Amino acid sequence: MKLQNLTAKLLHTLLLAAFLCAPAAAYLTVTAETDQPSVEINGNLYLTVTVSGDSASVPEPKLPNMQNFNVYSSGRSQSISIINGKITTSVSFTYILTPRFIGAQTIPAISVSNGKETAVAPELKVNVTRASQPQQQAQPAAPPRPQPGRQPRRAQGGGGTENHPQIFIKAETDKKSAYPGEQINISIKFYTSVPLSSNPQYVPPAFKNLISEDLPPVRTGETDISGVRYAYSEIKAALFALNPGPAEIKSATVVAQVPSEDQIDPFDPNFFQKFMSMSGAQGQSREFSTDPLSLDIKPLPTGAPAGFDGAVGNYTVLASADRADARVGEAVNLSITVTGSGNLKAVTAPKLPELGDFKVFDTMSSLDIRKEGDLISGKKTFTYILVPRAEGRKIVPQVKFSFFDPRAGIYKELHTDPVALQVEKGDQAAKSVNFNPSNAVPSAVTASGSDIRYVSERKGSDTLPFLAKEVTGLPLWAHAVPAALLLLSFWLAKLNRFKSANPLLFKFRMARSEASRDIGKTEALIKAGKNGEAIAILYDSYMAYLSDKCGVKVSALTIKKAVDLIKARFPRVSERSVEEIQELWSALELRHFSPSAAEAEGTRDLARKYSLLIELLEKELK
Amino acid sequence: MRHILLLCLLALPAAAAAYDLGEMAEFNDHYKNARYEDALEGYKKVIAREPANPWGYYNAGNALFRLGRMGPAIFNYAKAFTLDPRSSDIRANLDFALRQTGQTLVPENAPRVLHYLYYSLSDTELQAAAILLFWLACLSGGAGFLLDGSKPGRLAGKASMGAAGLLLLSLAWMGARQSSTFTSAGVVTKSGGARMLSGPGENFKTYASAPEGRLVKIMDADDETYYEIGLSKEGIKGWALKTDVDRL
Repeated sequence: MKLQNLTAKLLHTLLLAAFLCAPAAAYLTVTAETDQPSVEINGNLYLTVTVSGDSASVPEPKLPNMQNFNVYSSGRSQSISIINGKITTSVSFTYILTPRFIGAQTIPAISVSNGKETAVAPELKVNVTRASQPQQQAQPAAPPRPQPGRQPRRAQGGGGTENHPQIFIKAETDKKSAYPGEQINISIKFYTSVPLSSNPQYVPPAFKNLISEDLPPVRTGETDISGVRYAYSEIKAALFALNPGPAEIKSATVVAQVPSEDQIDPFDPNFFQKFMSMSGAQGQSREFSTDPLSLDIKPLPTGAPAGFDGAVGNYTVLASADRADARVGEAVNLSITVTGSGNLKAVTAPKLPELGDFKVFDTMSSLDIRKEGDLISGKKTFTYILVPRAEGRKIVPQVKFSFFDPRAGIYKELHTDPVALQVEKGDQAAKSVNFNPSNAVPSAVTASGSDIRYVSERKGSDTLPFLAKEVTGLPLWAHAVPAALLLLSFWLAKLNRFKSANPLLFKFRMARSEASRDIGKTEALIKAGKNGEAIAILYDSYMAYLSDKCGVKVSALTIKKAVDLIKARFPRVSERSVEEIQELWSALELRHFSPSAAEAEGTRDLARKYSLLIELLEKELK
Repeated sequence: MRHILLLCLLALPAAAAAYDLGEMAEFNDHYKNARYEDALEGYKKVIAREPANPWGYYNAGNALFRLGRMGPAIFNYAKAFTLDPRSSDIRANLDFALRQTGQTLVPENAPRVLHYLYYSLSDTELQAAAILLFWLACLSGGAGFLLDGSKPGRLAGKASMGAAGLLLLSLAWMGARQSSTFTSAGVVTKSGGARMLSGPGENFKTYASAPEGRLVKIMDADDETYYEIGLSKEGIKGWALKTDVDRL
């Protein structure tokens, strides 16, 4: 019975949890649309992919592989709305598509995923038609279809005659000098009057003091130059200078397979080399480059307005709020939109005037770039989150925006119209809003009604940080002291253990150092004229040494026993050593027990002899 | 006698805290009367004189917050937090300021208690603890060896092993802290955010921007003009001007 109750409770809990979790699930949608259902082969198509979600940041769509279009990114625009504490974000990603083939073409389904869920926009159909202008036809041979994107200039021969080369490349800019940020267009044309064996490879130029923006599509066509019919491909790009001073466009290069001009004589001694260099039937590989181009970038004139932040071009500016009415504590989106032609990517957010009636939160920007007529234009929108502090009619004052107009050569200062908001008394729960653009869940935007805590009167560090600072401030070598003490203690402990476990072996090993120490004492006594005491110490030391080596007590040691034991324990001991042991024993015994015979010279000789004998025995008694 | 010496040692910071209390109160008066710029100037003086004093940073963060300069405010709160991570005032204001810029002090799904424990000691305190444990392990180990075989020797040996274990724990803690949000980190302090370039120079493309107040990882600071910064949440990295990002 109890088990049944428990099971029922568990099921109820699970159902309740599932019910509560369901509304909290995030949603994600994606739509895709083109600006026109059909496009000419030499035209452009704008594809807009809009991703929406209930988070302040939505994932960027991953475009599928499109073989039938060249794809260029053209910016993004974002809008965020916060209604009743719920964030909704919509980001539009714009792409320029340039068709590659005539006929009905398909843009495959586009999907986005935020890791939790995936949304898919259905595929789109686009009809690609022939170019309306007869001049711009598909090239007959295979003129270059290089990747669009940069610039070049001037011609270099590629076969043919000096005046009419079969293949050449030419690069030119529409102006030789400009202001920083002013658009400069560059055109690179690749001409050929002969069919090419394969698609040429285009290597774009590098830039110095310039940034570039593609101007798609790659244009192709035919033209007559001095009576010669050429097919050409043209790549255009917009350039913007960064700083005053010289700017440079390095060489652009096209590598093409050119049909061979010479027949190969099979009887030519270099036949095989020539044959191999032809790369089969594809002709010779040739490289065509443009010469570097130099541009003069003029400094901007003096007298810039106070708010000027480097914008160059021709713009208009507009301010708007996402609603006219709001409550205290509710977020309102104020958008400042800069529209016009110029390098919009470099345009920075206009500075808002002092807004005492509002709390100002994040600034977000969105960019929508258009490239019609080889002119970079579009709009950039800066969105400010404003939260009214008090009720009443509140005004967002004019916002100033300054830019330099390169055509007119003057600075212009624009301002937006004031934006009026009617603010009503807010709910208790909406007095303050934490705007959290990175959180996907609605619970991240909470009405806390709180503020930062007040300044502190406290000063200086507490005890723990103070001590920590003192400890970490100690010199490094100081920390070696405990380690050294530990090692020393370890060594002493090891020595003691060894001594306790092997007393005879310990004595055997220590015998030499004890004897050396005694010899030292003896020499000091000899110098002091105390020969008798020196002999006594020498004798005792010798007995102790032999005792330690033989493992027998001194009292039980005789000369014969000592020699027998040494011979038994160390068979490799030499006869000479044995004789020396006996001689030294006799000499020391004589002087020890007959002190009158102990003279300074004789004692010193005995000490030296003892020392030499120890050296000898240490080698043999192992 | 030893107790008196210990008390004197512990009283030193308290005495230091009492000194110049009046000056801080004067700057706080500016703050109280909404003269935030004046207050900020005062707090900057305190910071210049006592860079290890968290309250100078904390108060400066408050003044900057009131002035609407969210990036520098977060930077100062974060500095204060690294110096005194246990202070509830510092934690509260840092968390509040971070939330204004879409960040949180305690990561989502992380238990607050665990986060508090993880940051219960500052980096300096953690280092000091490791050093003291090292000393304790060595000295008690040495005593254990010297008193080998005796009961006190065994006790000293156990103390040494315990200290060594805690030392390893503190080293692991220090290692884990290397990946914390506030280690090798910086804050975007430029108004309007910092541009992220694909390389250290204007010749490289701008492909992202880090908003003002964003805590970023500083991955490379060798370049004279640029930091290589990383936004771990988005999984992107790029180069930003050193003038746009203040290093913690």
